[in-house]
Amino acid sequence: MSASQSAVRSRAEAVKVSRTFDWLILFTLFFVILGGYHVHFMLTGGDWDFWTDWKDRRLWVTVLPIVGITFPAAVQSVLWWRYRLPFGAVVAVLGLLFGEWVNRYFNFWGWTYFPVNFVFPSNFMPGAIVLDVILMLSNSMQLTAVLGGLGYGLLFYPGNWPIIAPLHVPVEYNGMMMTLADLQGYHYVRTGTPEYIRMVEKGTLRTFGKDVAPVSAFFSGFVSIIIYFLWHFFGKWFGSTAFTQST
Amino acid sequence: MKLIKDKVAKLSFVALLVSVTAAMFYTPTASAHGEKSQAAFMRMRTIHWFDLNWSKDELTVNDTMTISGKFHVFAGWPETVDKPEISFLNIGIPGPVFIRAGSWIGGQLVPRSVTLELGETYEFKVLLKARRPGDWHVHTMMNVKGGGPIIGPGKWVTISGSMANFKNPITTLTGETIDLETYNLSNTYFWHTFWYALGIAWVAYWARKPMFIPRIIAVDSGKADSLISATDRKVALAFAAGSIAIVAMSMSSTNEQYPVTTPLQAGLLRGMKPLEMPAPTVSVKVEDATYRVPGRAMQMTLTVTNNGDAPIRLGEFNTAGVRFLDAAVSKDESGYPDDLLAEEGLTVSDNSALAPGQSRTIQVTASDAAWEVYRLADLIYDPDSRFAGLLFFYDDAGGRQMVMVDAPLIPSFI
Ligand SMILES: [Cu+2]
Repeated sequence: MSASQSAVRSRAEAVKVSRTFDWLILFTLFFVILGGYHVHFMLTGGDWDFWTDWKDRRLWVTVLPIVGITFPAAVQSVLWWRYRLPFGAVVAVLGLLFGEWVNRYFNFWGWTYFPVNFVFPSNFMPGAIVLDVILMLSNSMQLTAVLGGLGYGLLFYPGNWPIIAPLHVPVEYNGMMMTLADLQGYHYVRTGTPEYIRMVEKGTLRTFGKDVAPVSAFFSGFVSIIIYFLWHFFGKWFGSTAFTQST
Repeated sequence: MKLIKDKVAKLSFVALLVSVTAAMFYTPTASAHGEKSQAAFMRMRTIHWFDLNWSKDELTVNDTMTISGKFHVFAGWPETVDKPEISFLNIGIPGPVFIRAGSWIGGQLVPRSVTLELGETYEFKVLLKARRPGDWHVHTMMNVKGGGPIIGPGKWVTISGSMANFKNPITTLTGETIDLETYNLSNTYFWHTFWYALGIAWVAYWARKPMFIPRIIAVDSGKADSLISATDRKVALAFAAGSIAIVAMSMSSTNEQYPVTTPLQAGLLRGMKPLEMPAPTVSVKVEDATYRVPGRAMQMTLTVTNNGDAPIRLGEFNTAGVRFLDAAVSKDESGYPDDLLAEEGLTVSDNSALAPGQSRTIQVTASDAAWEVYRLADLIYDPDSRFAGLLFFYDDAGGRQMVMVDAPLIPSFI
């Protein structure tokens, strides 16, 4: 494009073009985030998110918010500081969940026939909404990291409990007690995921008795704070326009 | 302008393709056909499956079948594979075409991992319920932590009917009977749809107004604060407070609806009961063993001593699930998979009954295409070129003795 000649001829046309850009960018952003976040999440969260018999009150609660706050933090830093758009975390989570649902529905169920009630993804939306709102209202990265990060960790388990609680009802099976989720893992044969790689109920928080979920959630929230800072800076660095020429 | 628009559009489709291919195509391992590609020494020197029986080879959806038999945990377990201290009795099928309704080692239910002892023999049984129609290769399988999956013999089983008819009723300890196939599904869809819709609503609120270009211009010119109105703040507060309230309310209503829940169960079962095997009264010494590549045959020179009180004959050599039989001594009546059965594959230089107290040196040849088909011959390229297997001796009264052999194998190329 030559600089001497404008591409639009009227204000109305400029508005229209700007609006077209909005949708194109949002669309691209959605899928780029989806791709990056989904791959990242699969590599770090992996089995914890794939199977209900991994969704325990200890490691699942701890690990997923920590690896899940990454992209929301980075996307927030770009969208907020450059555009004052407060939906970075939500749009990231929308992307992740969309990718996950496509994957679970078409591959896990459609291709390999694992029932959807065994392989549905975890819900991150409550934490993402709170994260976005805190950044918007406070306009402070530090406060968002501390309050939002903690909230992200704390809201994860209760935000998922209505979905997974029915699967934690116990059954007696051939003389052993297990939950329905355990039974799903036993019934629906996974040749590549033997019982011993299942990372559930491991850890050292034994002194807290049976209330491990809140303790794990707090711990997860604290680590999420640190991860938030880190990824917020990643986002800033990626969102930098220092290497493009300004006109 | 058109140019930029095209470029952005093109870029978005590239991004879409990349992301779609990257993550969304991930599928959990659906194939169980690794048996032939698994290193030969892994199959010959770890878990020896024998006396296997697939109770059916044709069934309709909802029917059950069992795979039962024994496995011997080889005492000369290879150094390159972790010991089976944490192992899981699995089943090698392409995804959940059957459900595993039960699995037992020595009569003990084993939904958990177990510790196996080297040199011991265990009895096992797996109960399967047909779920998805098709022809499936059903393998025995043991996952060993640090060693990977060890795949045993497989047999083709045909399931007919329709998966839509599959039912998996379970009665919980709270007295409810549910179908695990569809249980909790509508609840899952409801909550995921609800939260997804709320997320879209939040983005949509901001997408109503111009987004990227006018806003970046405003931010760059120092007018960032003008972009958030008082109404925006109220809406945002409502979203956050509403989300927290919904989480709290749905959590407490869930707890009311499901007052009894337990944590996920996990653990390791130690002290599995091995099969009591009387010490064999036959002793076998391997003088030498060669594998003749052109003839697809393994030749062993064995010195057999009968310390028992009945005359015995060699009936079978079993390695990696391939059974070489001397038809004059033993026959298969279990419907063992054809490709793993060499009914006349065992030739013994002198297989007349060996009387008690006697000793004899014999030439034993185990030949069958299975050496090639199952790539057992690749053993000679393994880092530790030894073979191992089970020898079965029979007496007239139908008694059977099992003896392990384990010796170096020398290839012969002429
Ligand atoms: Cu197979």
